Amino acid sequence: MNKRSFTKLLALLFSFAMIAAACGGDSSDGGEDTTDTTAGDAEETETEDTVAESGTEAEGDVDTEVEATDAVATQGGEIAIGLEAEIVGMRPWEDTCGSPCMNVLPTIYDKLMEATADGGYEGWLLEDISANEDFTVWVGTLRSGVTFHDGSELTAQSVADMFPVQQEGATSAGAISASGLIGVEATGDLEITYTLGQANSAFPAYLSRAPIGMVFEPVSAAADIDAFNENPIGTGPFVFVSRDLDNETIVERNADYWGMDSNGTQLPYLDKISFRPIPDEGTRLDALLSDTTQVMHTLRQGTIRDARAARDEGADIFMFEFQGNNVGGGMFNVLVPPYDDVRVRRGLTQMNSQDNVIEALGGTGISLPGTQWFSPDSPWYSEKVAAAWPEFDFDAGVATLQDYVDDPERSDGKAAGEPIDAELSCPPDPTLIAAMQVLEQTWTASGLVTVELTNYDQQTHINYALGAENGFVGDHTTHCWRVSGDDDPSTFLNQALAPPTAEVAAANGLDGIVSPLNWSNYFDAEVFGSLVAATATDDFDERYALYESVMLKLAEDVPIWFSGHTATALGVRSDVQGLSSWELPNGTLGVGLPNAEGRWSMAWLAAE
Amino acid sequence: MTATDPGTKTEFPSERLTKVSTAMSIDARQGTPPKRSSPWAVFKEMPIFVKLSAVWLILVFGGAIYAKIDQVIFNGALPLQDPNFQTNNFDPSTGEFGTGDPIESPSWSHWLGTDAIARDTFARIVHGGWVSLIVASVAAAFGIIVGGFLGSLVGFIRGRTETIVMSIIDVILAFPALILLLAMVSIFKVRDLFIIAMVIGFLSIPAYTRVSRANSLAISNREFVLAARAIGTKPATILRREIIPNVLPTVLSYAMVAAAFVIVVEGSLSFLGLSVQLPTSTWGNMINQARRDIDLNLLQVVAPSLALVFTVLSLNQVGDWLQKRSAHRASAL
Repeated sequence: MNKRSFTKLLALLFSFAMIAAACGGDSSDGGEDTTDTTAGDAEETETEDTVAESGTEAEGDVDTEVEATDAVATQGGEIAIGLEAEIVGMRPWEDTCGSPCMNVLPTIYDKLMEATADGGYEGWLLEDISANEDFTVWVGTLRSGVTFHDGSELTAQSVADMFPVQQEGATSAGAISASGLIGVEATGDLEITYTLGQANSAFPAYLSRAPIGMVFEPVSAAADIDAFNENPIGTGPFVFVSRDLDNETIVERNADYWGMDSNGTQLPYLDKISFRPIPDEGTRLDALLSDTTQVMHTLRQGTIRDARAARDEGADIFMFEFQGNNVGGGMFNVLVPPYDDVRVRRGLTQMNSQDNVIEALGGTGISLPGTQWFSPDSPWYSEKVAAAWPEFDFDAGVATLQDYVDDPERSDGKAAGEPIDAELSCPPDPTLIAAMQVLEQTWTASGLVTVELTNYDQQTHINYALGAENGFVGDHTTHCWRVSGDDDPSTFLNQALAPPTAEVAAANGLDGIVSPLNWSNYFDAEVFGSLVAATATDDFDERYALYESVMLKLAEDVPIWFSGHTATALGVRSDVQGLSSWELPNGTLGVGLPNAEGRWSMAWLAAE
Repeated sequence: MTATDPGTKTEFPSERLTKVSTAMSIDARQGTPPKRSSPWAVFKEMPIFVKLSAVWLILVFGGAIYAKIDQVIFNGALPLQDPNFQTNNFDPSTGEFGTGDPIESPSWSHWLGTDAIARDTFARIVHGGWVSLIVASVAAAFGIIVGGFLGSLVGFIRGRTETIVMSIIDVILAFPALILLLAMVSIFKVRDLFIIAMVIGFLSIPAYTRVSRANSLAISNREFVLAARAIGTKPATILRREIIPNVLPTVLSYAMVAAAFVIVVEGSLSFLGLSVQLPTSTWGNMINQARRDIDLNLLQVVAPSLALVFTVLSLNQVGDWLQKRSAHRASAL
């Protein structure tokens, strides 16, 4: 296999991993987030300021405040956590890891880096990490005295030995390729050197989660990958006890865990956690309300709404909510006429009544309308982009589309005056079905669009857009989709807006750079150039300006239309504490609970 | 009948053959054939529960036909709300958003409230009956014509043909119908009502074939058929004149019961989002779409569910009664 083919294969594998992660749960899934950030204390201060300036609190945005607490945690006790789905497996490098999984695996495996409340990344197992000038070499130092659950010591060599395993991993191989990582070397007992094939100022983000950021015992993993799945070994705060597939995964307190809280108390606080997959949203909520489980994980706005109602009626629960960057809506396939014409895309987008769509999704008062790939709470959010986004204006939309329809040279080959065809396709989820019918009504009402509504199962829906059989062009036209995540923008934008086909790449002098994850097939050389430039600097303002320019261009060319940002939540019995106040080992406030991912080593039960 | 001398071939007048055959098929005890009853007379014969079921079916399917006529011929001018009109969405005719609310409780404007996107639930239930009606009718027609004929044929001629046909039927029967439908709908992306009805109809052929074959077997051994054979009537003529007419009443009454099953199958497909193209309303897709809001307004799930339950129950009631009635009449042969 030559290098190019191998790269393509890696990219394809990664795409499947990402797809499965993004779509592994229900359609309201927050999706998989690859995360990244810049490092440096000075920069974090700047970021914080920018958040205050660019972020805004809109109606319905009721994120649980992430804040430090003076409360003294108590040790002991056990909880059961209701997850929306069973996790794929216990191997971070091999098994796709979505939101439910990101609740389970970090209890067993520590991450090298962790996200902070101000949008940065700092060390978890790594005490520090720094890069050379062009961000192609990253050197980190592991903390000392950390042992795996089997008693063996964590050294830099352990991390280096993970790399060959990760290179073969079904999900980690793609992430390695996307991050540009080409080598991991132990350059001291605790010093690790990461070598990248290209500049990547956001590399630490990749070390903050699966598939390449979680530390596992490499010897056992390399010896028997299937046996490791049955007996996972990490350095995490809990030790794996048992897994009854589709029923319960149990972990117990790691008595030798290295972590301490700011009061010097050894972590974790809880003695035992039981993770229970309960796919039905109503049943999961009922389990929480009846105290069968003490935590409920959800990525659905309708469930948040119902849980809020139960709480307001006196249920003894608390909702930890989060409004993520992940945003729903749909995409146009810009390589398929008539969607290759911006007039069509813009006209249809102007006929998208976001408020009605969000209402149909059950997200009124919960989900914020999307205008870009960043939610108003994100440091990357831009008011300028929000203002540029084509908001609902039916008459303007009709006029824009009419211009195309009356064009004798229109790209779809139809006669002037004939309506365009739109196959609006979503997975058969009731919320999405409701939302697509709202769009269908307004598009049809224009008299310029013949809308066919289709629903295919999740996998068919994805394959339809993937288009593996036609050079990744896909057969989709107008397709329900979710984009973005809460990690560093480069982790998702660079792939989503890279050349979609070999032809496009060649035409732009980018041979060999093809991304099957460019679902809408939208490509603009200037946009891609900005994205690449954003990974070559760690200056926040510079990066912000680059991402803002990208978003402005997307608002102009509208390859994607938006409904609302994804609200996620962890509903808990009121005695479960610590989910929004956990800290990193250096005392920095953690990111809280994006995508309903709790940090369970620092959760505790309040005394009755 | 007079015995003929051995070795002598007697030409029996064909005109008389028919008369003999017909004469053997009348009620031997009473001496008169069963009289054809008018629909009203049949209705009056029904027990009260069956009567109520029949009335329900008339209302549901009559309503569905009314709704379709309103939609196709009168362009929505008759008194019934547009089942797809979202009362809270943008209305280009007024240039404003509607003032309706999603998941409304029942009111004079919306007898059964509104769904998640503020559409009138009563109108959607009435229109949903059309899908059930078409699916049931097409599937029944398919089953009766193809399955009924095949069963009558093989039950009469027997032999290798019967073995082959019934083996094929057994193979089709062995397929889990819903899984096969799911696969076909997913693979071929079929969303047309008529095609879905045809597919369901195809899958109902085995049941009709078995019912008609069982009846055909019994009738083939009756005296009037033996007599017809004995006097040299062509098998095709016996099939056409003796077997099929006597199998048909049973198959027709079975069709009512089968239709109930077919409606449930279509409901399951709709519930899974694999039946007719949206926004066409069906009871199944109404239940599916309303289940998310079941805590907020139970009626949105209960109303289409009851429509489905009552219709299936009614078809079973009326079908069973008709089957008993036809069996009783057949015993009088």
